Amino acid sequence: MALLQISEPGESHVKEACATAAVGIDLGTTNSLVAIVLGDEKPRALPVDEGSNLLPSVVHYGRGGGPGSVIVGRAARRLAAEFPRDTIVSVKRFMGRSAADPETRRLSPYQFAEGESGVVRFVVDSTRTVNPVEVSAEILRALRNRAEERLGIKVQQAVITVPAYFDDAQRQATKEAGRLAGLEVLRLLNEPTAAALAYGLDKRSQGMFAVYDLGGGTFDISVLQLQDGVFEVKSVGGDSALGGDDFDRALAERLLGAGPRTPQTVRVAIDAAKAAKEQLTTAQSVQALGQTVTRSELEAAIQPLIEKTGNACRRALRDAGVADGKGLAPQGAPNGGASGAAITLDGVILVGGSTRVPAVRRFVREVFGLEPLADIDPDEVVALGAAVQANLLTAETPQHDVLLLDVAPLSLGLETMGGLVEKLILRNTTIPANATQEFTTFADGQNGMDIHVLQGERELVPDCRSLARFTLGGIPALPAGLARVAVTFQVDADGILSVTAKEQLTGVSQSITVKPSHGLTDEEIERMLLASIEHAEEDVQARLLIDNRVEAQRILKAVEQQMQANGDLLSPGERAQIEATVGEVRAATAGTDHHFIHQQIERLDQVSAEFAKRVMDRGIERALKGHSVGEFDQGEISAHAQKAYSAQDSGAGRDD
Amino acid sequence: MSKCWHCGGDRQPADPICPSCGKVQPPPAAEVRLDKFALLEVEPGFDAPEGLDDKFRALSRKLHPDRFARASSQERRFSLEQTTLLNDAYRTLKDPVRRAEHLLALRGVSGEVRMAPDFLEETLDDREKLLEAKESGQPLEALAQGVREKRDQTLAEVRALVNAGGELSRAAELLARMKYYARYLDEVEARAAEI
Repeated sequence: MALLQISEPGESHVKEACATAAVGIDLGTTNSLVAIVLGDEKPRALPVDEGSNLLPSVVHYGRGGGPGSVIVGRAARRLAAEFPRDTIVSVKRFMGRSAADPETRRLSPYQFAEGESGVVRFVVDSTRTVNPVEVSAEILRALRNRAEERLGIKVQQAVITVPAYFDDAQRQATKEAGRLAGLEVLRLLNEPTAAALAYGLDKRSQGMFAVYDLGGGTFDISVLQLQDGVFEVKSVGGDSALGGDDFDRALAERLLGAGPRTPQTVRVAIDAAKAAKEQLTTAQSVQALGQTVTRSELEAAIQPLIEKTGNACRRALRDAGVADGKGLAPQGAPNGGASGAAITLDGVILVGGSTRVPAVRRFVREVFGLEPLADIDPDEVVALGAAVQANLLTAETPQHDVLLLDVAPLSLGLETMGGLVEKLILRNTTIPANATQEFTTFADGQNGMDIHVLQGERELVPDCRSLARFTLGGIPALPAGLARVAVTFQVDADGILSVTAKEQLTGVSQSITVKPSHGLTDEEIERMLLASIEHAEEDVQARLLIDNRVEAQRILKAVEQQMQANGDLLSPGERAQIEATVGEVRAATAGTDHHFIHQQIERLDQVSAEFAKRVMDRGIERALKGHSVGEFDQGEISAHAQKAYSAQDSGAGRDD
Repeated sequence: MSKCWHCGGDRQPADPICPSCGKVQPPPAAEVRLDKFALLEVEPGFDAPEGLDDKFRALSRKLHPDRFARASSQERRFSLEQTTLLNDAYRTLKDPVRRAEHLLALRGVSGEVRMAPDFLEETLDDREKLLEAKESGQPLEALAQGVREKRDQTLAEVRALVNAGGELSRAAELLARMKYYARYLDEVEARAAEI
């Protein structure tokens, strides 16, 4: 197993006794995870991609896997540099957004197509168009299939997490993606709440906590109180378009400079920036695309972005009635002079890969005046919490007797005369919640009323997010101001809104679950559902075939590169044998028998094992000559070298 | 008296849970005036009710939709509606102004309140000063502090009237002033956020 890491240790299909087939899914911007509570165990994340619990949220269409194919995860990510337009990365940023949204117009290598309802559509695989819901559904389907393979049982129910600051359209889109992937979505759970659940159970804590969640594409801040097994969210805030991706882009802009910008150079620059950012968590200076980048340069580039999280933090603390890092008590609530006894925070929890950036941790410490907690893996904690909630909702006797009380992240209101927004449900209201407001007609004989539903904190209609419009007809002809229409908002436990309008005299009423204005039309949803049924019936063999073909291509490329670079290490006989086996692998990939392709790959692995060892030895020799490597034993050296070698071949085509 | 849909036992219309069988009940009809103090099982009064948070958590544990994820669709609906009422009642009782308004409503004081002309004049005055300070870029903190004091004084007056069984219509008028103070302070805060 030198050149090719095909089999994954511990990847045997374990059949496990399962309390429930309901899983928790963290559908992340950068990575997605699936976790489960089994029997009386703690929640744990399942390995879903080449032995890792993290499935990169990357979907590749066509090209590398052949027309019509879909590849998800690391295999897809490896194809991103070569096929930037056919490989959708960070699709979460596009969920529930229109094509005209500034968020969709940022630095990216994609080609967009216009949709009838203004939904974002990517053109992939030459002519195919897919929308963000479909792309997300591929990720969910991959998680579901791989969890099923792993567990040996069907997975049909899931709790899926969303950023607390996701608006109604983004929540609906996520739920739709779950449905497309064949999952019953038990609950949309806010990510910071999920994280708090995982932490709270682990630590058996009581008190007031803030969760600072900076992921790949979203930022959330939540303040929660943990008391008597009830997790009560006091306030949330955030920015659903701010995350580590923006750090990468800020640095990529610098790396690109005045150079040419093609989909390839943009993809390569973003990837290089991401790698540099990650290395700078421990290193002080790194090379990226032939340029030196220091940690302080990275920090200078991202500081304005980090600062942007500060206002949301301070507002969330104030809304929760908690003192900030400077010990300043919030002023506002008329509490009869009790403002001197402000509540203080007992802890700050870090969630999301971007909280590994040292400048972010420094900032959090400063804003909250506390040393942040990060002892549960910030990449896994959300999925673990979601698994606990899935267990709570489905198990006969749940593992933990706890309850989550969440809030509406953004105010919900209606358009009134003069383009103003009248808020019916204020942000941070505990859900489920409802509110009713009466409106009246403004013209004599008016027989209809337009209802325009909005979400946001601003006073004017254009500054808020438009969620829906509908018309209540059949109002009796009366003088202006006499007809009375009661509009009721109901927000359910998923944070999703439904609206009812009722004319009080006649009882004429109309109610809708809000379909986002920028969302999908019913026809689109129907088409997607039909397509997903077809997709679900597709043979599992097809996926295995694609996986093996991609793997074969990756390995052929690696072997060929090494033959060119280090061919002098081979005797003519050895060379001929490797070349013959390469030919056999290539011939196998033209066929459709995935077992056969896999066998041929393994043969190539055996045949080239000695060659790989020599290449490694040469590498070590060079390294030892060039650098002082320090004192580690021989065994460790070869393990390191082996890792470096396989990293090199998987990154081929990107670094050169 | 109402009957439990499940066991047929007697229950109060506002009882969220049947006292006999423990099943969640449909919410009372819209015409029934809900006593939010009674719903949360706390003593009615002007001051923050004792044990309110504990009661809220305990009732949430019984009523929340998460507790009914495996129940029939009817029970799930009742749970959603009851939890919605519970959340609303808790929100009302947590807030001093809304709590006082609800108390007055339970004591039969409701409807439009006519504001005293001298109060309106004073409000206009205050707003004018705020506008001037904003335009000239002066700090607003001293002005805000003045309004905060007036607010707290007014609330103390309401408390005295309510607790001593005083003139409740006067208390209602004083309470209505809180909205004006709140709006004023919101504007100061919005300004602070801009800076």
